[in-house]
Amino acid sequence: MAVPALSLSDCRVLIVDDNEFNRKSLALVIRRAGIADIAFAENGREGLAAVERFRPDLVLLDVDMPVMNGWEMCEALRRNASHEELPVLFQTALDSDEEQVRCFEAGGSDFISKPIKPGECVARVRHQLEKRKLFGDLAAFRERVQRELSHARAMQTSLLPENRQLAEVADRYGLTLDAHFETSSELGGDFWGLYPLGDGRLGLLMVDFAGHGITAAINTFRLHTLIDRFPMQHMTPSQWLAQLNVALKDVLPTGQFATAFFGILDLATDTLTFAAAGSPNPVLGTPSAARGNGPDIRLLDSAGLVLGVSHRARYVDQSHRLPRGGFLFLYSDALIECGGEGIGPLGQDAVPGFVRDALARDRQHPLRPMMESFYARTRLPLRDDLTAVWVARRA
Amino acid sequence: MDFKTTKTESAIEVRIAGRMDFTDHDRLPDILSQLDGTRNRLILDMSRLDFIDSAGLGMLLIIQDEAEGQNVKLIVRGVAGDVKRSIELARLSEIITFQD
Repeated sequence: MAVPALSLSDCRVLIVDDNEFNRKSLALVIRRAGIADIAFAENGREGLAAVERFRPDLVLLDVDMPVMNGWEMCEALRRNASHEELPVLFQTALDSDEEQVRCFEAGGSDFISKPIKPGECVARVRHQLEKRKLFGDLAAFRERVQRELSHARAMQTSLLPENRQLAEVADRYGLTLDAHFETSSELGGDFWGLYPLGDGRLGLLMVDFAGHGITAAINTFRLHTLIDRFPMQHMTPSQWLAQLNVALKDVLPTGQFATAFFGILDLATDTLTFAAAGSPNPVLGTPSAARGNGPDIRLLDSAGLVLGVSHRARYVDQSHRLPRGGFLFLYSDALIECGGEGIGPLGQDAVPGFVRDALARDRQHPLRPMMESFYARTRLPLRDDLTAVWVARRA
Repeated sequence: MDFKTTKTESAIEVRIAGRMDFTDHDRLPDILSQLDGTRNRLILDMSRLDFIDSAGLGMLLIIQDEAEGQNVKLIVRGVAGDVKRSIELARLSEIITFQD
């Protein structure tokens, strides 16, 4: 990309040289290039003091000087974190390879050979100053984006149930509720929510927008607005998903879509009724009929046309018994698709065993051991956003 | 993701191999540019595709949309294994024509 030539008029240059003639001729050369703000020092020690006082954008530094030579001054500068990036151009009459290498070892950015050739001198000074300016712009840009992303991240987190809400709902419905949410970059495309519907009924929603990062995150904000528009009380999960699908189809560009699980847990009938749109297979656990056995654990069928692809999509309700002591485990596809060094991803079929192992380690809160073993086998940073929600009915 | 294109009298056939995931999104224009208006069928042979993620499924939907817009019939052939499973879970067969 072409960068417009930088105006050097607002750049400050410090010339450090013990020879008055050299100081004057260097100043003449760079003044002709448009640099007016020039300060001088006669040795390294004076040079260091001048850097603090004058705050130059570039130092033109002689090597051989009394009191403190150029190499020593440059090394001292580099030891100070605030001058790590300050361009230092050595001017040297020493044209042996070894001496020139020494200039770089001392932390010099570049060097110009004496006698000074005005064209080369200005070109190298300009190059260093432009690099410094671009670096500064980039750092400022990065800082701004970082700040905005962390605001956006806080907004995204605020869309999800807070710990306080989790605890309230858990108490009210006699549940154990644990959740894990991690995005693969600052922002993610996963979303989940809990919706108390009255009459001992609780709505559970998990949505995963394709892709991750900013685009997917914007879709989670869209989703959050849509959810408020569609009351869940008097609708089956399939009807509700169908409504959400049409609304998403209207706003999502082609190629973007979401997988979803929406279920309603009814305490009065011990029933979970749900509809799904291509989410990973949820895990249902029910207490075993035979005493002393672990729970019966199985994957539920969650096939369904993903949301936001077709106005005509239809969804199907399924009902399953979810009595006291039973549980439901929901997760996004990162759990089964992210692998590690030399280890393939977990895969869908391994999930029941994964849950069973975690239950053996912590019967009340198996999500913790599940996440521990997931992170132990997975390469970080995650390639996709991970959400995992554990919902168990207390026995 | 790698792909190779061959043209018969009535169809463009694109064979896709490897993984089709979010890192391949920039390749989409390369695939779409195969639609040159001379054939009315686009066959995507996925028998050598090992993995597809949600971004890959999104690419399929875009290809379908683009083909439809140009009156080209998209047929996806030979999906198997994990790829087949992902496509069935997302029920893309309601939108796209799949053949064995």
